Amino acid sequence: MQERLSEIQNQAKEDLAKAESLEEVEKIKTRYLGRKGGIISDVIKAIPGLPPEQRSLTGKSANKLKQEISKWIEEAKVKFVNKERTSEPKEIFDLSLPGKCMHYGRRHPITQTIDEIKGIFRKLCFDIEYGPEVEHEYYNFDALNIPADHPSREDFDTFYLGNKRLLRSQTSTVQIRVMEKKKPPIRMIAPGKVFRPDTVDARHASMFHQIEGLMVDEGVSFSDLKYVLTLFAQSYFGQDIKMRFRPSFFPFTEPSAEIDISCSICKGKGCSVCSHSGWVEVLGAGMVDPNVFETVGYDAEKYTGFAFGLGVERLTMLKYGIDNIRLFFENDLRFLSQF
Amino acid sequence: MKISYNWLKDYCKHDLSVEALAEKLTNAGLVVDTINPVDDDFCLEVEVTSNRPDCLGFIGIAREVAAIVRSELIIPGVDYETTTENVNDLTGVTIEDNELCQRYTARIIKDVKIAPSPEWLQKRISSIGLRPVNNIVDITNYVLMESGQPLHAFDFDKLSGKKIIVRMAKKGETMEAIDGSKCTLTDDMLVIADAQRPVAVAGIMGGRDTEVSDTTKNILLESAFFDPRNVRRTSRKLGLISDSSYRFERRVDPECIDWASRRAAKMILDIAGGHVVEGVIDRNYLEYKKVSVALRMSRLDSLLGLHIDKKTAKDILERLQFKIKPEGETEDNLTVEVPSFRGDVYREVDLIEEVARIHGYDKIQAESNIGVKLTQDNIFDKVTEKTKSVISGLGFDEVITDSIVGELHERHGAIWSEMSSLKIINPIRQDENLLRKALVHNLLRVKKHNQNYGVEKTNIYELSKIYLPQEDDGMPEEKECLCILGEEGFLSLKGVIGTILSQLNIVQELETMRYDFDLFNPGKSAALKLGGKLLGYVGELSREVINDYDFRTKPCVAELDYNILIDNTNLESSYRKIPSLPMVTRDMAVVSDEAVTWADIKGCIESLNINYVDGIEFFDVYRGKQVENGKKSIAFRLIFRADDRTLKSEEVDKLQEEILENLSNAFGIKLRA
Repeated sequence: MQERLSEIQNQAKEDLAKAESLEEVEKIKTRYLGRKGGIISDVIKAIPGLPPEQRSLTGKSANKLKQEISKWIEEAKVKFVNKERTSEPKEIFDLSLPGKCMHYGRRHPITQTIDEIKGIFRKLCFDIEYGPEVEHEYYNFDALNIPADHPSREDFDTFYLGNKRLLRSQTSTVQIRVMEKKKPPIRMIAPGKVFRPDTVDARHASMFHQIEGLMVDEGVSFSDLKYVLTLFAQSYFGQDIKMRFRPSFFPFTEPSAEIDISCSICKGKGCSVCSHSGWVEVLGAGMVDPNVFETVGYDAEKYTGFAFGLGVERLTMLKYGIDNIRLFFENDLRFLSQF
Repeated sequence: MKISYNWLKDYCKHDLSVEALAEKLTNAGLVVDTINPVDDDFCLEVEVTSNRPDCLGFIGIAREVAAIVRSELIIPGVDYETTTENVNDLTGVTIEDNELCQRYTARIIKDVKIAPSPEWLQKRISSIGLRPVNNIVDITNYVLMESGQPLHAFDFDKLSGKKIIVRMAKKGETMEAIDGSKCTLTDDMLVIADAQRPVAVAGIMGGRDTEVSDTTKNILLESAFFDPRNVRRTSRKLGLISDSSYRFERRVDPECIDWASRRAAKMILDIAGGHVVEGVIDRNYLEYKKVSVALRMSRLDSLLGLHIDKKTAKDILERLQFKIKPEGETEDNLTVEVPSFRGDVYREVDLIEEVARIHGYDKIQAESNIGVKLTQDNIFDKVTEKTKSVISGLGFDEVITDSIVGELHERHGAIWSEMSSLKIINPIRQDENLLRKALVHNLLRVKKHNQNYGVEKTNIYELSKIYLPQEDDGMPEEKECLCILGEEGFLSLKGVIGTILSQLNIVQELETMRYDFDLFNPGKSAALKLGGKLLGYVGELSREVINDYDFRTKPCVAELDYNILIDNTNLESSYRKIPSLPMVTRDMAVVSDEAVTWADIKGCIESLNINYVDGIEFFDVYRGKQVENGKKSIAFRLIFRADDRTLKSEEVDKLQEEILENLSNAFGIKLRA
């Protein structure tokens, strides 16, 4: 049997040396190693018929030979593959051709900004709330400590629909709706559309988006307000921005503040975006006015809280250096596809 | 409010440069918008919030500066000599409505010499953008800007009956104002009248007939308190806004009324000569009470999250001219009397703000121990996140369009409601005054816009609210809608909807019913139902719409009620075992009449309830050669599978035969030869 094996070995070597193409090598492979009718397979199948003392040795040798032939075959293949590569090219596949891109739809930049801000506040354990866009005067004004015929209403130009209905001019309405329904502790933000009859120009649109925020609990302080809004501004605009909290007035907060960040365009040196002040206003905020708590039936002595509001378009414009708010609602695909 | 850097120094000495002054004011809540050089001076534009009318005068702003830099406030003197003649012998003042005019003072100055103001005075009022007129008018303007109290000087000799009557206007009365505007008055407006006619609209503007002119000799000087709301309403109604109305609307300081009058009288005496008649007519119905507020230092600390010692707080409040009552002071408490010009301060929290803003918000640390809290799930956000990911993945771009539309926008017919749209009473443009009742029209406009810029295919969607009016004129139904505009044909768009449904794990079957719309091509226009409820509409745009917009493609549009999607969404999915046994497939093509639908065929096969049918997959519909005229060939695949064994070919043949037989009996369907 051993003789037979060495014969096979020699024959295989010879055959492979004669082979002139990859196909021939493949044929040789089948002839020797094929599972059905391959020479080696036949040898192995014949082992049980051998005298017992030869079986083990023959088995080992046969397997060894099988491996050896496999190796030669692979070597022969490589030779031909290399040869074929260097042989005359018929056509060359151009690997530098552009990949076939499928169009991937994009979310509107305003949606992207809202999603990003929601993400930041979710990490700070704020719930997301929504409210109606057509509101009762009560929620837009009275409940927010903005009495009728009061000059403070002037800060909130509003579209009226008759019968005490209006298009909300601020998302602060949602504060009231949430507090009417829930007891403290409250941590929420409310994104949404608001409407104001502003003269439309590069910075003003009659419809835009705001995000209102509210946190109410026992012992919430101005220091908490600064903490939360600083974390927010740093996550959204970057760790290295500077912030300025300055006193301001909103009827529904006391004390009130407006929050500026160092201008991201000129890094605080002064440019047209920041009116050469180095600062841009990004947020309005303050401690919830006790009158508002009284309106919704909270104990203003026990609970304190802060509220804030921001303009989504404004933040998006600052972040990307967009100079015209109208671009957001024209929906030109050359604009939308940039985000 | 415009202020002059040099002029302000009259009332408060400080060493601040104009930039430093601007920064300090801004950080105390008086934002300085711009600084403009004027000759050797600067004009600062200060934004005064509506709660701070006390800062609508130089003295008010100087008071803030004095508190910020810890300097003294300097108030000019108002002493002068008078004649022995008494004002009550010369004129009279009658107040007919003492709610709308709560205080009225009148002084008379005789024998003044009208001339241009001296140069320094002209320069000062010019520096803040006022136009010099003559010495008397300039002085009243000067004192208005100095004190925040509006004044008016009448030519006394032109007042008919030499007296003042403060009364409601008679309906239809007219008056020509100083600025030339003709006012037609209504009976809810308060006027200052003489014996015959209105000579001023109270608190807003004087009349031309009685204004001070070159020939004026004797003056009646008015300083008053008018009801803020009435001034505001009248000013809006007449479309007349003045420096006076602006201040009266915001409430003037009840204790400054007489001071301002005397200040002006003194200046007139100094500049225009003449004699001030002894005394003042002062009709005072103001029920003004001093307000005292208790401030707990512990509350201040806890609300601000910052400890401020009592001494500091006291110093700030006193510099702002609040009075600390010694009898009300304990270790934790201050009792604070609020000055008359600070109507905005009436609670503890208002005092806390005063202390905080002068002390500086920057001193409050951004620190917190608010801890974590479990946030609530918001189903709307979850479904929306998923829906938008799916639509984006399918290649659609999101758009956001205006909720406010014009009548023309919805000219191709209503979808959700036939009622007329909600109307805005005060629109910016008369042709854009309605709240949309559908999204589709806006998407067509977006497509048009993009087509104009060379974009052929616009695959877009919007998820926003529409506003459906209600019968009772109440709040509209705000319906969240998902509108998709696709360019790849009806079935592709239906497939997009199908993909969304399957990704939201919606198990209910999507039903398609033929539905006629002006908007859509009648052959390809359907209502969609999900679980028996109307989900929305889908269709190919009609010829008319395509022509109207001049579209070069045939877009299809779907508008869906998003809440129906949310209601049917199944956010929890579970694992289904992958079948271990192979399936057997049979591809078939059958010939049927045109009227037979895929839904008929599928429904028929499903109704047989054959256990082993695991799927019915549509391939295509073919009409043409090899198919009899008026018929169509429908190709599909049947998938058979058993859970417990491999199905034999003969079994499947039998099932297939059974199916064909049923299709044949029900619809006359034959296997295609």
